[in-house]
Amino acid sequence: MLSSQNKKVSLFLIVLGVVFVIMSVRLPEYPLVPVDADAIPIILGCLLIFLSILLFFIKDEPKDSEDSEQSEPFFNADRKMLFLFGGFILLYIVLLEWLGFLITTALFIFTSTFALGYKKHVTNIIVAIAIPIVFYYLFNYVLKISLPKGILPF
Amino acid sequence: MGVMDGILEGAKVAFSFHGILFVLMGVFLGTIIGMLPGLGPITAIGVMIPISYGMDANMALVMMAGIYYGAIFGGSTSSILLNAPGVAGTVATAFDGYPMAQQGKAGKALAIAAVSSFIGGTVGVILLMLFAPLLATVAISFGPPEYFALMLLALTAIASLSEGSTIKALISGTLGFMVAMIGIDGQTGTSRFTFGSASLLSGIDFLVIALGIFALAEVFKLIITRNDIDSGPNKNIGSIRITKSELKEMSGPASRQSVLGFLIGVLPGAGATIASFIAYITEKKIAKKPEEFGKGSIKGLTAPETANNAATSGAFVPLLSLGIPGSGTTAVLLGALMVMGIQPGPMLFTEKPDLFWGVIISMYIGNIFLLVLNLPLIPYISKLLNIPRPMLISLVTIFCLIGVYGISFNTFDLYLLLAFGIIGYLLRLVSFPAAPFILAFILGEMIEQSVRKSMTISNGSFMIFLERPITLAFLIITVLSLALPPLLGMRKKIKSIE
Repeated sequence: MLSSQNKKVSLFLIVLGVVFVIMSVRLPEYPLVPVDADAIPIILGCLLIFLSILLFFIKDEPKDSEDSEQSEPFFNADRKMLFLFGGFILLYIVLLEWLGFLITTALFIFTSTFALGYKKHVTNIIVAIAIPIVFYYLFNYVLKISLPKGILPF
Repeated sequence: MGVMDGILEGAKVAFSFHGILFVLMGVFLGTIIGMLPGLGPITAIGVMIPISYGMDANMALVMMAGIYYGAIFGGSTSSILLNAPGVAGTVATAFDGYPMAQQGKAGKALAIAAVSSFIGGTVGVILLMLFAPLLATVAISFGPPEYFALMLLALTAIASLSEGSTIKALISGTLGFMVAMIGIDGQTGTSRFTFGSASLLSGIDFLVIALGIFALAEVFKLIITRNDIDSGPNKNIGSIRITKSELKEMSGPASRQSVLGFLIGVLPGAGATIASFIAYITEKKIAKKPEEFGKGSIKGLTAPETANNAATSGAFVPLLSLGIPGSGTTAVLLGALMVMGIQPGPMLFTEKPDLFWGVIISMYIGNIFLLVLNLPLIPYISKLLNIPRPMLISLVTIFCLIGVYGISFNTFDLYLLLAFGIIGYLLRLVSFPAAPFILAFILGEMIEQSVRKSMTISNGSFMIFLERPITLAFLIITVLSLALPPLLGMRKKIKSIE
């Protein structure tokens, strides 16, 4: 029954719409205005449910070649790379305020560029060191937006 | 103050040293980012927002506008050289531009694209100067009901005009609207959908949405496609000279499509992309030799290039004079302006003529700069297409992260950015267009407030939306724009059965 992509997406959105409506209904009331804070969200939730029901009955568009490879394992090379890259970003956010902008950014640029398949390591190192320094100078001293300095003294 | 005085004020801004410097910076950056396949004007503007903090509002607007039309201008370079459009508005440019480049006439194709873009852009600005004040004068009498109806029209128009399924576009818009509801309600102080998080009380910053749904999602897509396009154009692009007979051939489509493109750009929901396709199709229909189209036709290259740049100027009409964006890109531009404390709209025209006219007049200068940048310098600039994809992906990601961190100094927003990047990528994966999402997100709060203000004015009666002629007209157009396409489709089906 859930063979088509539209049907799967539609069901997910219907659930989302229902949750949204329930949350909207439970918002505290404020009696002094003609339209309270929950009115528009309730309309939006119902609209989403209605549109998703329509989507349920729409046939999928003919698929592009990239999506049609159903037989491929879920974790193909591209997906693995996406998850890895997402992980790098997550790590960057966690480390940013602790290690500081310069170190974290240099590490991020080098590792992710390397992981994405760039072979010239010397160029990579130069860029990974130069770019954070330029940004840091630009933001901290020209734009006066102070980026986290972390464990470095400057 | 009369219009003439306003234009003079604007000219002072545009021709000041800073004015010229920032328009040059804007169009230069726009050209570069627009040229890189996968990165569009929304990413370009989003990335530049942190840089513009603390800048003079006039200059920031001049620069941001330059980035927008510069990106459309620059997008043609990669369409022609790589057959990989830099921005959606230059997809049609590749139809004839790429075959031309393959015939060894890349330089000529680039030159034709640059001249056509210049004509489209400049004619567009002239028309913008005529239209924008006119519309602003009308819009000054608009109250909350009119604004509500107009914004609703803009949203439904972008949904019904965007590529692919209208239902999907409408869902995308609804989701964007829902995200806009997060935070403290301005009228009652109720905190909505914040899950007890203090960071969500003020709502989600639009930069998080713009950089997440667009820039980061585009980066994720680039990761998948990073090996598809061989980087770097051919070394030799050939002569960039255009002969007289070629210029003559260009004149027809250039003059027609600059006006048509502008008008399409003014319409809510339709922008550079639609304008360029319509231009290509109409020129092919009226051409004496339509069989040349797609094989390196000069007319086929001139038409979309003129139209997309004219449409970009046209898109500034509703943005500047009504304060209502008609497309995803102008929505981000509006968000950027609001960050700087500027509220575009009819009041801008009367109260800040230097800003209103300054940006318009700077567009003339910007288009001249673009012509210079794109003609003699293009062989050098196009070398930037050689930036290795892995490096580009890392650097753009860093730009997004730092841009968001620079506005809030809170890593919570960075997690949100990552989350919206993933949402944006998933939306693309199931072919939901992202432009309605961002437009609805930016208009969402304004729509809600205008409904509630209208209802307060009318003491809770819905009649206020039906009694005012302009409001009623907008609402009727809104309903028609949604109802007509499916009805026409049904009629076609019935006819085909018969």
